[in-house]
Amino acid sequence: MIQETVDNAMGIAKMGAGLGAGLAVIGAGLGIGKIGGSSADGIARQPEAAAEIRGASIIFAALIEGVALFAIVIALLIIVLPGKL
Amino acid sequence: MSAIRYLLIALLILVPVWVGSTFVVHHDSDPSNPFLPLFEHLMPATLVSNPHAEHGEVAHPMLAITVPGPAAFDAVPEQAGTQFVLTNLQLFQIAAALLVIVCFSGVPSYLRTGRGDRLTRMFAGFALWLRDDVIYPAMGAKVGKKFLPYFLALFFFILFMNLLGLVPGGATATASVFVTAGLALLTLLMMVFGGMIAQGPLTYWKTLVPHVPIAIWPIMFVVELVGIFVKPFALMIRLFANMTGGHMVVLSFMGLLFLVANLAGTAWSWASSPVLVGFAVFIMIIEAFVALLQAYVFTMLSVLFIQASVHPEH
Repeated sequence: MIQETVDNAMGIAKMGAGLGAGLAVIGAGLGIGKIGGSSADGIARQPEAAAEIRGASIIFAALIEGVALFAIVIALLIIVLPGKL
Repeated sequence: MSAIRYLLIALLILVPVWVGSTFVVHHDSDPSNPFLPLFEHLMPATLVSNPHAEHGEVAHPMLAITVPGPAAFDAVPEQAGTQFVLTNLQLFQIAAALLVIVCFSGVPSYLRTGRGDRLTRMFAGFALWLRDDVIYPAMGAKVGKKFLPYFLALFFFILFMNLLGLVPGGATATASVFVTAGLALLTLLMMVFGGMIAQGPLTYWKTLVPHVPIAIWPIMFVVELVGIFVKPFALMIRLFANMTGGHMVVLSFMGLLFLVANLAGTAWSWASSPVLVGFAVFIMIIEAFVALLQAYVFTMLSVLFIQASVHPEH
């Protein structure tokens, strides 16, 4: 009985981790997509500034990606450390 | 000279791979869960002197230093105190540090005389690109010159650790959160003490908050104080999660092969292997790019953070 409850709770925790990872990817995808679109626009308008725009957009993408990775690491912790969080 | 350099590089790649795959305890395969034994390879493995210990026999760590006191991140929880043991990650860190020395051993004389072999010219160009296109535009030549050795060492150390993780049998030292935490801690110390040295100890804390109304100054001070710690923390998580994530995706594709074999039989597993291995190779190619990109991102963001604290905007 108790074991069954624990197993169910673990299943819900895993589902939460999966949903969390998915939501984080949605956010990061929107953010990085905006950066990619804008930098492509910028390079098309000013091809001579392509190198600078590319460098800056990599940095911005890394900053957004960092926030998404926070979420992924938390989702990972839910799986790796069950019952400790 | 050139031949010796190539030989040393080959040795520095092959010896850690051999030691790291020979002197570790190997995990039993578990047919009911093909993913777990694969994911065990992401964990740091303690180097042991008796890798073929029978069941029940205790594996002896090659090097164990016991520090008395409370146990924190302990390798051997049964023993009192904190045990520091040699793992394969340390092996690859040392190899990466030595690789930096070997690869750059010819660069100073190349820059003075203009003579050097292909490897030396490549790394000299790499270092000059980092100086002229990354560090100097962001920091200025005057401040940048003082921090240049740190950033060069940081970039190539991370780069070699990332790339050694792609060698078959290798371990990625940067896929451990403790290694990246150490690197991020260096950046944190550079930010705080660099800022305090450049501006004076008191001025640094005074100029931490830009000009704001006096009523919201305490709130802004707390926000900026938290920001100091969040920036290196984000660096730590970013490098760690990128390196771990790539490996995890590759291992998941490998695990899917065994899962298909469990569910549908070996024939289906063979049939699906070209697709799954193809995906894994595709991810490995992306990982090779990410290894370079993350070393660049870590260095670039360190440059920006340190620049912001050494020379604040007023």
